[in-house]
Amino acid sequence: MHTILVLVRKDFTNFFRNKPALLLTFVIPFVMIYLFGQIFGINRKDSGPNGIPLAVVNLSDNPGAAKLVDALKAEKSFRVLTKFVNPDKSTRPLTEADARALMQGSDAPFRFALVIPADLISTKTIGLRFKILSNPRNEIETQTVNGVLQKTIFTNVPELLAQSLQARAKDFLGDARLQKFNGAIAGAVAGTFGGDKAQIERDLSGGDFGISQLTQSPKPADPTLRRLDPTPAPARSAASVAATASAAPKSDPPTLDSHPSPAASAAAQIIKFETEQVVGANVKSPAATAIVGGWAIQFLLFALSASAVSLFRERDAGIFQRLLASPVTRAQILLGKFVYGVSIGLIQLLVLFFAGRILFGIEVEKHLGLLILVCAFAAAACTSFGMLLAAIAPNAEAANGMATFLIMMMSALGGAWFPISLMPQFIQQFSKLTLVYWSMEGFSNVLWAGMSFVQLLPVLGILGGITAVVMSLAIWRFNRGKIFE
Amino acid sequence: MLSLASVTKRYGSLTALAGVSLNIERGEFFGLLGPNGAGKSTTMSLIAGLRAPDTGTLTLDGQPLNAGSAVARLSLGLVPQHIALYSELNADENLRIFGSLYGLSGSDLRARIDAALEAVQLTDRRRDAVKTFSGGMQRRLNLVAALLHRPKLLLCDEPTVGVDPQSRNAIFEYLEQLNRDGLTIIYSTHYMEEATRLCSRIGIIDHGKLHALGTLDELLTKLPFEEEIRFPATPATAALAAQLPAHGELTTTTDGLHRFRPHPATKLSSFFSLAESHALPGRLFTSQRPTLEALFLHLTGRTLRE
Repeated sequence: MHTILVLVRKDFTNFFRNKPALLLTFVIPFVMIYLFGQIFGINRKDSGPNGIPLAVVNLSDNPGAAKLVDALKAEKSFRVLTKFVNPDKSTRPLTEADARALMQGSDAPFRFALVIPADLISTKTIGLRFKILSNPRNEIETQTVNGVLQKTIFTNVPELLAQSLQARAKDFLGDARLQKFNGAIAGAVAGTFGGDKAQIERDLSGGDFGISQLTQSPKPADPTLRRLDPTPAPARSAASVAATASAAPKSDPPTLDSHPSPAASAAAQIIKFETEQVVGANVKSPAATAIVGGWAIQFLLFALSASAVSLFRERDAGIFQRLLASPVTRAQILLGKFVYGVSIGLIQLLVLFFAGRILFGIEVEKHLGLLILVCAFAAAACTSFGMLLAAIAPNAEAANGMATFLIMMMSALGGAWFPISLMPQFIQQFSKLTLVYWSMEGFSNVLWAGMSFVQLLPVLGILGGITAVVMSLAIWRFNRGKIFE
Repeated sequence: MLSLASVTKRYGSLTALAGVSLNIERGEFFGLLGPNGAGKSTTMSLIAGLRAPDTGTLTLDGQPLNAGSAVARLSLGLVPQHIALYSELNADENLRIFGSLYGLSGSDLRARIDAALEAVQLTDRRRDAVKTFSGGMQRRLNLVAALLHRPKLLLCDEPTVGVDPQSRNAIFEYLEQLNRDGLTIIYSTHYMEEATRLCSRIGIIDHGKLHALGTLDELLTKLPFEEEIRFPATPATAALAAQLPAHGELTTTTDGLHRFRPHPATKLSSFFSLAESHALPGRLFTSQRPTLEALFLHLTGRTLRE
């Protein structure tokens, strides 16, 4: 027994001296659990998506439409934009043309827009019409937006539905007969339930059937009205929304339930969503296009970090001594490692995208030139990251531990695993600090949005900037460190 | 050919080299002998241009030997202490890489690789990954990788560490042949036997200071005795041993031997008379020339293994 205890103590001593092992055992799982917990809303009051930019173009002068805009602004899932900012910083209401134009660029301020048409309530048809413009490059995010949008409309502006009924009735019956009809209904209601007949008649004429009092409660008491509420539960997690919604046909009007109740189906008939995909409408296999880039960049980071960590092996083997005693400089060694990293990274990314072509039909060859360019820039950024790790870590083990931690963090924060809009706002702020985010932006801009070289320049510039800054830091550290001694 | 003048190198508070001055002539086989941490590798790295001295100058053929000097690097070949080879690659690929770094290519490089592999008897293993080689084979390849560009000066930093006697001998013979062919060699080691066998001139270094410099014979004259007498440390010899400190320096080795180094004034005949007086037969005693080990002990107060 003594021997076993001695051996166990030896292992514990070794373990606690091994900082990378400690990092992998305790810190990384903790951080990942925290991140996933935030995403799935565990113990969070504001679970679900946060601050997804949504442009709202309100062309209707109906007060109910303005109320809907206010309701959307109050919805924490969205960050609503209704103004177009002119070059002189003055603003004007956003138009549909503005929204379409702004959704095209690489720095598009939003990927979803709700257009409330001028003829929101028509005298020719019963029901409401909305138009949704989308750049649905991320399937989960798209379904989440559709779901939240429907919920907000259904629960906040039911009087618009009643107004629609009144307008259609007025067109069908004529003004006098409708007034007579409303009067008869108001009399019946007042006679049966009490109340002021004249007030009830005014409410009916204005479209206020009192539905809002029911739909805005947490859960309608009446089972029939509950069926009209398409949101299964207010606290429904984004993931489950996405999972359910993803089963729905893409081109159909958005529904949240794959087996809608008759009442919900009726609601879907009287609230019509005309969904128009503004960007990527012709892209085959959109989900794969979004996913492959994220995973490719994550594995590229692992591969290139391992490559940079090989600097330690070369140092320990005395190879640097031999190289530096020959006509080779430190700068050439580092540059050689960098060029190798970019080359192998470029090859790896292209192989993975072509695998995506074979497996999922991603249209790689259509954008091959620009895809190679983005892959090269992404590979350069990833290589510089690996070089910096090798420059700051004291040894290969520490570098590997740091690499695992940072790559998983960057992948999660950068959106390689799930849409960043599912994370709390304060975490989203860090997304744009990751090279994963910008690499994915680059892939998406090429494969999804089909952007031109000029349109790609901002993302390429950022990836190039990351490479320059990180590589400079790495070289500075290499020159101060002892890896060449 | 190579000159070091008052060279000092510090690492923080540690002085690795303290004002070392040294001249090495063309065609010499110079040995730098000292224990681990004496300053041998630092000296080698300064000559190879891997580091710059804090003070002092190094010149090669009259030209300053600056860290990073391209001309100097073409003139030098470094055999590092480690097996500085790409273990996943084969012998041929390794030599091709290191040769190419010196600008060699084509049939010239091919011919030099062939000759190098032939010289260290690795021709039949040229396509095998280095990781499959024995330690001795790796050391031999490590050596010839520094010779492809035909340097004027070869720096061997303890090139036989961990090598079996057979491979060590093969390396020695190859180095001796290279030296006979005119190559100047600086060879650092903590093995007295290697320095004794190979080097025409030896520098004894410890704690960053060059304590002695010269040929083997010149160095041994620095010892205050000419012969060293060894005899077993047994109860029978205890009485004799008790008397000897008055006549010279007596040490006892871990393997049970007394080593007696008589004072210059002590004649060997008087020692043997004393032994006879203790009825000890002459066959118990062996005398031999003193070694570099003894000189090192005499100069530094510690052994080469310490």
